[in-house]
Amino acid sequence: MNVVTRGIKNAVRSPIKTGAIVLMFAISIALILSMLVARGSVLRKVDEVKANAGTSITITPAGIVGDQGGGEALTTAQITIIKNTANVSSVTSTLTDRLGTTDTNLTSSLALGSFGARQQRFEAPNSSASESTGAAHPAPTSRINVTGTSDPNSIATNGGVLTISSGATIDGNSSDNIALVGATLATKNNLAVNSTFTAYGKTITVKGIYTTGNAFQDSGIIMPIATVQTLTAQPGAVNNVSAKVNSSDNVASTVATLKTTLAGKADITSQAEQAATSVSSLESIATLTLTGVIAAAGAGALIILLAMILVVRERRREIGVIKAIGGSNKKVIGQFIVEGLTMTVIGAVIGFALGIAVSGPMTTSLVSNSQNSASTTSPTRGGGPGAGGFEGGFARAQSQLTTNLTQVSATLTPQILMSAIGITLLIALLGSAIPAWLTARIRPAEVLRTE
Amino acid sequence: MLTVDKVSKSFTTPGGTVHALQDVTLSVKTGEFVSIIGKSGSGKSTLLSILGALDTPTSGSIIVDDTEINTLSGRKQTTYRASKIGFVFQQYNLIPNLSALENVMLALEFGGYPASSRLDRATQLLHSVGIEEDQQHRRPSRLSGGQQQRVSIARALANQPAYILADEPTGNLDSVTGKKIFDLLHDLSRSQKTTIIVVTHDLDIAGKTDRTFTLQNGKITTK
Repeated sequence: MNVVTRGIKNAVRSPIKTGAIVLMFAISIALILSMLVARGSVLRKVDEVKANAGTSITITPAGIVGDQGGGEALTTAQITIIKNTANVSSVTSTLTDRLGTTDTNLTSSLALGSFGARQQRFEAPNSSASESTGAAHPAPTSRINVTGTSDPNSIATNGGVLTISSGATIDGNSSDNIALVGATLATKNNLAVNSTFTAYGKTITVKGIYTTGNAFQDSGIIMPIATVQTLTAQPGAVNNVSAKVNSSDNVASTVATLKTTLAGKADITSQAEQAATSVSSLESIATLTLTGVIAAAGAGALIILLAMILVVRERRREIGVIKAIGGSNKKVIGQFIVEGLTMTVIGAVIGFALGIAVSGPMTTSLVSNSQNSASTTSPTRGGGPGAGGFEGGFARAQSQLTTNLTQVSATLTPQILMSAIGITLLIALLGSAIPAWLTARIRPAEVLRTE
Repeated sequence: MLTVDKVSKSFTTPGGTVHALQDVTLSVKTGEFVSIIGKSGSGKSTLLSILGALDTPTSGSIIVDDTEINTLSGRKQTTYRASKIGFVFQQYNLIPNLSALENVMLALEFGGYPASSRLDRATQLLHSVGIEEDQQHRRPSRLSGGQQQRVSIARALANQPAYILADEPTGNLDSVTGKKIFDLLHDLSRSQKTTIIVVTHDLDIAGKTDRTFTLQNGKITTK
């Protein structure tokens, strides 16, 4: 029998006491592990959401969303300010309009339906009656959405390049009377590449047919922004700007700068900003779990420390005897450290098993509780009818973001496991250091004198 | 040869300084069986602790086989206790969760005895003090007082010490068992020429030793 065997044997000397200590320690280890797993999973999700949030900033005239609201469109001077703002790498400007039956020879491919009819009830022949009753009167036809943009790809719903099913894309910086026509609208009006149609009293040439998979977008027309500005007699007007920032780290500061320079003339939002708000509850969980890890580690160290102090005090005489019969301080301390480590290892094994079992449900519970409370307090923002492509995509991204936030899967990574083992070893070290020091201070003569 | 020269030991207590030993001088020859008697608080156990290097004197010196043990480093004092001294206590002081055999083997480990032969040596020692094989695997709590003291003596003899220091070895035993234990110690001193110093209250036992020292208020009054 050597120091190690004696230490292990001593650890199980009093099964009930050791069992109670091990159980308490195992619970604290389980808490540490499950908190580390929850923290790791939540932080990964936060990083993922932030990384996917992109570097786009949306700037719309104050009070205007798409074709709704009221106020003044953004001006050329304001667009210049945006372009010249530090860290803004590119700007896509959009001006949307809707073509009525008097504006074009095209027929809308969208059915008006009860929703469209209600939206146009104010323009119905006896509008005063409809206003008072709230009843919808049939409108002549639904409108055709026109998007003037400096970058036709900004209409793509997948965030990438616009799919051109026939013909070629157009130059957004052109001022020619050219257009890309949505596939549904083209079919409805028998339009093909190089066909022409009339809009705003001018002849427009179809350069390409596009598809997005979105019924609203595929029933619209895309033109260069300058063309739409000219045709609608709104020189320089813009009702939506998508500005790209050079780094995700600069999004927040750029938003702040633009809010100052545009001084209330525009509403400015960014996916990153929205994502930051959305993930704030997850970040709170990360903070909470870190506090939990520290508290559980402290409790674990205290349990081992107090248990070992009690053991040392209880066995003062025995330690004195061991020293009296020739046991060195090194051997006695070694024996007590092994005893402490044995309890730590048994507790850690049980704690790890327990922690792995509860970390999944605990993470899910923490995240769902947090998201439930966040969803009741967070304002939501929709694109609205007639909203620009980016605006609509933004709303969809937000909805997706909210859904994704609740989908946090608890994963025990090797890094987390190593952290948990490291913390356990630290606890064992802290819990054994003071008892070992107490052991070394015991003088056999003092113990034996009490006989 | 063990020589104690003008050894004093004082303790500072809240009530003032206590002089446990005052200028104690004595010498014990190799193989001698001596006893130290005295009332409670006379300094007997303190003297035994100092002889066993468990405590250090306030002044004076203890020379054991030409080595002044009170000036040795802590590590050397531990080695001295492990190799030269065997302790026998009134309360036996066996390690409760170790069997009789393991208690003896523990002393052998501290004395640097080779691991491969510890078991044989411990078994032989326990036999020699009258502990049968079935008793050797019992824990102290399952042995009688007399048997525990025999195990304690076997443990003290483990490393063939030159000196056995016994503090009231029969104090917790009935007279018959106490006599047997005394006889065992006596036989050892004769057969192995081990120097034995016994602290006792029992004047009958003291009377059977080669020499008796009487301690009174920390001073040797009779040699």
